[in-house]
Amino acid sequence: MGALAATGAIVAGSLLAIAAPAGAQKTGGDVRFGLEAETTGGYCIPKAQLVVSGIQVAAAVYDTLTMPNTKDEYVANLAESVTPNSTFDEWTIKLRPGIKFHNGEALNAAAVKQNMDAWKTGRLFQFVYSNMGDVTVVDDLTLKVTTKTPWPAFPGYLYLQGRAGIVAPAQLANADTCATNLIGTGPFKLNSPGDWKLNESLTVVKNPNYWKKDAKGNALPCLDKITFVPVPDSPTRDTQLQGGQLDIMHTSSASSIDGLKSTSGIDLVYDVKGNRETRYYQINASKPPFNDPKARQALGYALNPKEINTIRNKGLFTVASQTMDSNSPGYLKSSGYPKYNLKKAKQLASEVKAANGGSFDVTFLTTNDSDNAAEGQLLIEQANAAGMNAKLVQVDQSSLVNELLGGNFSVTLVRNFHSDAAFGDVANYVWWAKGSPVNFSKFDDPNVQAALDAGRTSTDPAALTKAYTDFNKAMAAGVYVVPAWYSIWALASKGLTGQGGAPLPDGSKALVLNGRFPVETLCKK
Amino acid sequence: MAAARLIGRRFLQLAVVLLLVTFFTFSLVRLLPGDPAKTIIPFGTEQQRAQLNQDLGLDKPFLQQYVNYLGVPIIRSDGTSGLLQGNLGRLYATNQPVTDSLKQSLPISLQLVLYAQVLALVIAIPLGVLAAYRSGTRTDRTINTTAFAFLAIPNFVLALVLSYFVGARLQWLPTAGYQPGWLDPLFDSSRSSTIFSGWSNNHIRYMILPVITLAVGQVAIYMRLLRSDMIATLQENFITMAKAKGVPNRRILFRHALRPSSLTLLTVAGLNIGTLIGGAIVVEVIFGIPGMGTQIGTAIFAREYVELQSYILVIAFIFVMINFIVDFLYIVLDPRIRRARATA
Amino acid sequence: MPAQPPDDMPADGPEGARDLDRYAEDSLESGLAVAQGSLYFSAVEVGGEGQKRRGRKLGIGAWLAIGWMVFIVLFSVLAQLGVLPLKSPTESFASCARLGPFAKEGTAPGHILGCDSNGRDMIARLAYGGWSSLFVATGAVLFGLIFGGVLGMLAGFFGGKVDVVLTSLFNVFLAIPAVVLALALVAFLQGASSSSGSGGTTVDAKFLLILAIGIVSVPLLGRITRASALTWSQREFVLAARAQGAKPMRIMIREVLPNVVPAMMSIALLAIAIAIVAEGTLSILGVGVKPPTPSWGNIIGLDRGKIKESPHIVFLPALLIFLTVLSLNFLGDVVRARLDVRESAV
Repeated sequence: MGALAATGAIVAGSLLAIAAPAGAQKTGGDVRFGLEAETTGGYCIPKAQLVVSGIQVAAAVYDTLTMPNTKDEYVANLAESVTPNSTFDEWTIKLRPGIKFHNGEALNAAAVKQNMDAWKTGRLFQFVYSNMGDVTVVDDLTLKVTTKTPWPAFPGYLYLQGRAGIVAPAQLANADTCATNLIGTGPFKLNSPGDWKLNESLTVVKNPNYWKKDAKGNALPCLDKITFVPVPDSPTRDTQLQGGQLDIMHTSSASSIDGLKSTSGIDLVYDVKGNRETRYYQINASKPPFNDPKARQALGYALNPKEINTIRNKGLFTVASQTMDSNSPGYLKSSGYPKYNLKKAKQLASEVKAANGGSFDVTFLTTNDSDNAAEGQLLIEQANAAGMNAKLVQVDQSSLVNELLGGNFSVTLVRNFHSDAAFGDVANYVWWAKGSPVNFSKFDDPNVQAALDAGRTSTDPAALTKAYTDFNKAMAAGVYVVPAWYSIWALASKGLTGQGGAPLPDGSKALVLNGRFPVETLCKK
Repeated sequence: MAAARLIGRRFLQLAVVLLLVTFFTFSLVRLLPGDPAKTIIPFGTEQQRAQLNQDLGLDKPFLQQYVNYLGVPIIRSDGTSGLLQGNLGRLYATNQPVTDSLKQSLPISLQLVLYAQVLALVIAIPLGVLAAYRSGTRTDRTINTTAFAFLAIPNFVLALVLSYFVGARLQWLPTAGYQPGWLDPLFDSSRSSTIFSGWSNNHIRYMILPVITLAVGQVAIYMRLLRSDMIATLQENFITMAKAKGVPNRRILFRHALRPSSLTLLTVAGLNIGTLIGGAIVVEVIFGIPGMGTQIGTAIFAREYVELQSYILVIAFIFVMINFIVDFLYIVLDPRIRRARATA
Repeated sequence: MPAQPPDDMPADGPEGARDLDRYAEDSLESGLAVAQGSLYFSAVEVGGEGQKRRGRKLGIGAWLAIGWMVFIVLFSVLAQLGVLPLKSPTESFASCARLGPFAKEGTAPGHILGCDSNGRDMIARLAYGGWSSLFVATGAVLFGLIFGGVLGMLAGFFGGKVDVVLTSLFNVFLAIPAVVLALALVAFLQGASSSSGSGGTTVDAKFLLILAIGIVSVPLLGRITRASALTWSQREFVLAARAQGAKPMRIMIREVLPNVVPAMMSIALLAIAIAIVAEGTLSILGVGVKPPTPSWGNIIGLDRGKIKESPHIVFLPALLIFLTVLSLNFLGDVVRARLDVRESAV
């Protein structure tokens, strides 16, 4: 376990080291980028359900209005400024002048309004942005957004872990091609929708008019072309990087990171420790047996994430004590979640059984990926050892969301991001709030809700910390999830430099959050 | 005359079978219980679902739906298009036409199957001839026994063996991925062939292991059939006569004896396309080739039933057509069959 | 249809070639493909050894094949009955995960054949997995023999319109490659049984597989039975019984069926081999036996990605599948030769 924790500490250093001396780099060249998954649902941003591999592609094609920096602030990016009124419920967004979409359309207030209006109808975005009120165009480059409550975290929502890329009106206009005809303002562009061959490759080429410059003032991007290749099988991806079929790839598999680390000629960088994604097992509290808190506790005591981490991740990831990582407001050293204790689990399970006519059925729902299947089988084994009757159901990634929305499960394997250092709200509210459809646990806990509401509106750091401390305690007391571990995203490359990304417009350094690695500064060595 | 009548009958049979196949694939999706709209948009409003049902034409009576699915002119509902108009439906998730993904995956699978077929025949014919010529000897037994053993190797086992030893251990060839070949640009002009590009990302390089995997089982089948067919031929009078006349063995084998067997081989190779297409599915999945097999696998887990339905239909269509063509050639090429049919 | 009784066939050439000839003609006559399975049957069958072995003692190969089948059936059935001193196939040992013979991280003390990526004992997985694979394959073939057999008998015996309807029905199913059809059927059956709202299938996946593979085998076995029944229905003793005014059903069951059964039995062994491969294929594609219950196919499917660091997990079940299929093919060939069922071959 120490191994990765140690490399995690080098992360910030290695990113800086690569970004600073831009000695022997050449402009131009093609690279092939291996992705963990294909984004079968497409990139119609307001409707899309991007996971990390999709966000990585979006990072090449789209820009977001704001971006996080290493000082844990959200700063203006595609926007020139994002300014709240004194009560944080009216926001003025000024756009950077002279920026054009890949198709020549101008980035203006009308285009951004079109995006925001589409967000409010998006399948998942509508819940994320439900606190957003009217969007009005003030002048060509200015718009005003009202929010239903004071919403200091709003700048964080303009990034949304890289999901809130601004899309050209032409892409939004045609519902039939919106998912495949990617048009943004980003460093790379799709020449034609035909350059995306589903399950095979998505090729983007240099956007010669890209607005950002590197630290020395050179034009970006450096590369001519990136071909994103989905290679879902992680050992195959490693082999392809070593064999030269890929130049760069991302991975979140512990054994893959472990193997690549010891391979010469391969450079690895990681996303930031303290803001990692969390693996946890989410319990559906709306249905029997888990509408009974005792049943949730029984599961909390029955599951042994440490052992699962040993078996599936060679013990390389850090076992999680709560849903958020250590760099988040409200993080607790000891959160109060049940810890593995088979005796207690059996005791509680038998009580649940007695109350339910002798049955305690658990369905673990996950995707059809083989690592998830194997992990699910360990969960079944541990649940059964405590006296439950567990089974596994596997569906495709996109159907998984449907199943979760429909509540057709009792426990699901989740990897999600809850560790926004600037605002707890962005990474937590929508996932845990009462009545939110993406609160897959479907619980209604007044303590959790009060803490979330307090966190959403508070501007004072002490109050913010207090709110999320309360939130953490309430989550632990209700056992709506069983936290497992914090997972790391690594970017592995061969013969490339410039993994650090361009400086943000205010001169600060961009934060690599949740596996969204910058691609505009990538260069051949 | 007889041949014409026979061919006419075949056309009729072809039409009937194709119609029944469309009905079967259509029914598969319709027979799924529950509200498809609920599966597609579980969190939609009632209104959205009703709209979707209308878009998918699910509010119409069963037979009308089938007519619309086929796209029969005149009796289909206004403004709809179906199979006859080349409309294979759209994906639930992205609203893309199924034909888009088909355009990509079909040439990939066709090339895979074609290469495997050619490779299998190229290996099987000389082996079969040799085994027949040396029938009963140790050479024959060795070839036969080896073929028998190869027949028992499932495609997926061979795929794993090759990808492990040749791919992962020796690192000679890639174990996953695909590069477009000569057929892909014909289906989709935005792709360019990589046959003449560098070796590291060359079409052929990516196809070697999958093609060998698919071909091996077929070699055994063709070899054994050719062998027994040729043993029979070699005992016929005209061969004995040729031998008596002093025609060289090689000439007898490849000119006199192989020719009558080639029709049988043609038929068998045609009929065998079905096995190859089936085998290609698991081979594509193991070697990460984005052909029809991979697409079918994805569709199953994504519950893209319309896509699944269309892929099955396309495969069945290709299979039936190839059989029809083989059948047709057989009738045209072999006068004996024409006569036999005429008197039957 | 010129269904010549086999006795009228010209005497030259080994019957393997004649079978093929007749099979080819038959396929053309019916207008469409005799699909993949039958081809495989004929390839396995027309080997030259068959006739030489007939009536002789069993060779060493046959004894090896029988030995292997007895071993593997006992191994899996006894494991399933809980008689063998095996570890549980669903119990994980963290210290053993990924370890085994030839594994990168080394061997596992206490587990002779090592463990899978979850640390479950491979011997136990293989034994219980064998049960799943053999159960599904045998069940599917029984299903196919019963339904295909009945339909084939009806078509072959009654001929006429019954034959036309049933043969067309077979042809529709044969127009879709077997693997594709099985895959589609499993997918739809699973979809159908899971949409009840519980999120998972309510029926044991093994029975869905038996149903799907069974349905696929119906037209294959049906056609073979039909060909056989057709031949026997025109033999003198059957014609004589008809002339005496016996009821058709009675003739079919008393006179024709007993003669058709041997042909079906020899085909059954080959069909089980094909069904084992089918189960493996479906499991690798992710729609086979549901984990954590092992089957040879899903052991491979689950840890296919670990082939480089732990090759034993994938290659042990692959080896068992290969040996079992090889033995069944061999025995099918021997049985065919012993029962002298040349008349009724495909």
